[in-house]
Amino acid sequence: MMSQQHPDIGTKYIRLSELPDGGSLATTAHAKYPGQHCSFRAVAGTVPLIKNSYALLLGPAICLYNAKLSMNMRSLTSDPRPNNLLFVNYSQEDIIFGFREKVREAILQADREYHPEVLFLITSCLQEIVGEDFDACIDEVRPLVRARLLIIHTENFTCEGAAPGVENMFRSLFELMKEQPQEARTANILGLWTSNARKTELVRLLESKGVRIKNIIPSYCTPSELEAAPGAQLNIVLDQYGLPLARQMKERFGTDYIYSRKPYQPDSIEQWYHEIAAELNIDIQTEVADLKEKTLAFQEKARCALDGLTCAISGVSGRPFDLASLLASVGVKPEAMLLQTVLSEDRPDIQSLLDLGVDPIIFRGDNSLQNDELLARLSPDLTVGSFERTSPARLGIRPVVLSTSNYLLGFESTIEVLRLLMEKPPGLEALMYKERILGKGEC
Amino acid sequence: MDLKHSGFPVPSDYFGVLWALSGIRDLLVLEHGSTGTCNYNAFNYMIMNRQTPKGKLFSSGMDEDDVVMGRDEKIRDAVAELDCKYHPKMIALVATGVTSVIGLDLKGIIEEIQPKTNARLLSFSGGGFAGDYTAGIREVFGTLARDVADDGSKDASFKADEFTVNIIGPTIDSFNIVSDLTEIERMLRLMGVRVNTVFTCDTEVDCIKNLKCASLNLVTRDIGLEAAEILKERFGTPYYYGLPFGVRGSIEWMKDISSMLGIGLDRTVVRAEVERYGFSILELANHMQNFDHLKAMISCPPDYSTGLAVMMREEWGIDPALMVLPAYSANVQTEKQDRMQDCIQDRMQARTRAMVHGGEADGDSGTERESRILIEPDCQTLKEAIDSIKPQIIFGNSYDLNIAKDVPIRIHAAFPAFDHIYRYDGTPFVGLRGHAYLTQMIINQLNLNPEVFRN
Repeated sequence: MMSQQHPDIGTKYIRLSELPDGGSLATTAHAKYPGQHCSFRAVAGTVPLIKNSYALLLGPAICLYNAKLSMNMRSLTSDPRPNNLLFVNYSQEDIIFGFREKVREAILQADREYHPEVLFLITSCLQEIVGEDFDACIDEVRPLVRARLLIIHTENFTCEGAAPGVENMFRSLFELMKEQPQEARTANILGLWTSNARKTELVRLLESKGVRIKNIIPSYCTPSELEAAPGAQLNIVLDQYGLPLARQMKERFGTDYIYSRKPYQPDSIEQWYHEIAAELNIDIQTEVADLKEKTLAFQEKARCALDGLTCAISGVSGRPFDLASLLASVGVKPEAMLLQTVLSEDRPDIQSLLDLGVDPIIFRGDNSLQNDELLARLSPDLTVGSFERTSPARLGIRPVVLSTSNYLLGFESTIEVLRLLMEKPPGLEALMYKERILGKGEC
Repeated sequence: MDLKHSGFPVPSDYFGVLWALSGIRDLLVLEHGSTGTCNYNAFNYMIMNRQTPKGKLFSSGMDEDDVVMGRDEKIRDAVAELDCKYHPKMIALVATGVTSVIGLDLKGIIEEIQPKTNARLLSFSGGGFAGDYTAGIREVFGTLARDVADDGSKDASFKADEFTVNIIGPTIDSFNIVSDLTEIERMLRLMGVRVNTVFTCDTEVDCIKNLKCASLNLVTRDIGLEAAEILKERFGTPYYYGLPFGVRGSIEWMKDISSMLGIGLDRTVVRAEVERYGFSILELANHMQNFDHLKAMISCPPDYSTGLAVMMREEWGIDPALMVLPAYSANVQTEKQDRMQDCIQDRMQARTRAMVHGGEADGDSGTERESRILIEPDCQTLKEAIDSIKPQIIFGNSYDLNIAKDVPIRIHAAFPAFDHIYRYDGTPFVGLRGHAYLTQMIINQLNLNPEVFRN
């Protein structure tokens, strides 16, 4: 990285107490890296979670190559996604002469060769800019294929971030759903993205009380299971991306929903469970009390180990300000929070954090070099959340990556967060040692 | 239509531009597009030996209004910011698909803002529609050789440095580049030859300006040939094209370069090298291990494919029965490139034929066994060829190795290699140490799969 000589980072942040109402935070630079996520990528990474489906990714070679690589990187984990992506290159000739015939041929071929129940058709920015009537083309071919064709538009240039594309992905699933008689003590979970979804604490707890989880969307449900989803007594919506689908289901099928993002503090988790339980008319007080007690004991242990540290928080799933309160409760003071957007539903958590006397810097976190400048200035003990390890280590800051807690829910997620704070991952000491030598010449 | 289920969509010229520019230390890349495109690149650099474009690549963050109104303020502001904050010697403006489609004139913007920008500005406007990644690399190489390399040779007193070469061809996407470059530079040092710069995976703007200082350009990759031609035309610098594979190939390479530079090759040095690294596969196999029936598939770019095939047949006695080559982009195909590709194929076929004739191109002894050559086949064609030829060994990229899951010995030897790290500089494929490393590796792999030996 080239050196820079005019750090002006102090003008680019505000305190939490000064934060205006919801929305995007001000950008920190004109030249950005890496910037916010691409919705094409987010959707391409999600549709493999729908069983018996294939997806035709329709875009220029730039987008297709990157989408394939994202899947390849995932394939090197213990949670690889099924390889259901097919690629159709949108070339310059297609822009000039039209893409319809190529898309039509690709749909027929995918249907013939792969026999999917559902074929997702995912567009990129370019189709939207060129303006070819893509949906009409799909309508023409629809009667000729066995697969259900679901279109997902991902015009990334129209927004900051991947949210609209991901919401479109959820919305597309609505087309598979049919009116069902409601089944008592059943629920869908919207917004949980993992192969371990059915092993989470939330699911285990609900199932122990006789609640049947019909679908965890989008985690490995089949088209026929999605068709039956409206029969659930309740949709439990864990993130904002699933909310438009829940609203559609409520409007069209009357399926009730509760929007309740992932909490971190034991009190918040307790309340979260009780709200869900109330909607389902079940009693989980004893179980929740037991789990909370164990978590509080672990929290006390964490406080003994961590008290007096400072941190910067970024890249958090669920409620970031509730996580900040959890960290404050174990004596780790949040100095800064690096975020993309602040949602209106974050307001109660923000107030709780301020009530604790914690008023961290709020900084837009999508620009890595600016983040590094801020971290260099604040020099916290820890970074908590993001996947980035090398840069904090180079600054002498211990990175705490929360990826393993992201796929957990409830008290088990909080215990995992605290464990990650207390235990250093393999290789971290060696990384920090190396970076100390490189950065400060210490040895 | 190949829907690339098992394979991969070939990266476009846009990537080639980024990769060719990324090894120039004091140059920054600013792409004009939505940040999602830039964000994605964190992944594609990661699969290339866990590199990162952080600190090198930036996005202007184009949005819907910019697209609709054709506005260019964001790129102007971003250039000014990069120029003022990081003081690069050069900033390259790179089009993305969106910029290309809306027809934004990057050259026109440069004309306007260059006078108030300290860094020199370049533009690359293909936007992913000008061909595959090799087209992007060639575009960058050509621009730098033509427009950035200083024409100091107009100075009558100018004389290129004796015994100094440029290495032309390696870019950050080149497979095994860390080790291969280390070995090439080591062999050059043995000959008393100095490297001026490595164009472009390890260089800086001033080194590119001074390309003329070398008295020979070593082209390690076919896509560097055009730049070498430009430099020959502009500065009169001759070039040598080829990589050293195997013992014989490495010594011939050293002889050729010595001859072109007018230096003598020290036989004592050569002897010591051969003694240390020239061990034959027969010295490593035991007398009960017969492997003269083995067949291999090689799926690499032409430079690697040719070299590996020759070494495999000449020095291991293994038949490179199936060769898979990447296609050059149809969009930017020129007559010259057609000829180049034909030449590579002819050379490979001729050399492969020569190899099975015991090293004699026109010999009439030996069994006639020509390699089957496929040019960027679709997955089905490739699977059928593998099923038909039944190689025991494959050298290829990650996708080839996945497709050929039943082949017992599978060796990463090409980009993309998303599941393979090659950061350590002691695993060369080229040069004398490359011969030693590969020969040792292949015998170890054979030992792990003893069923492939013939009794």
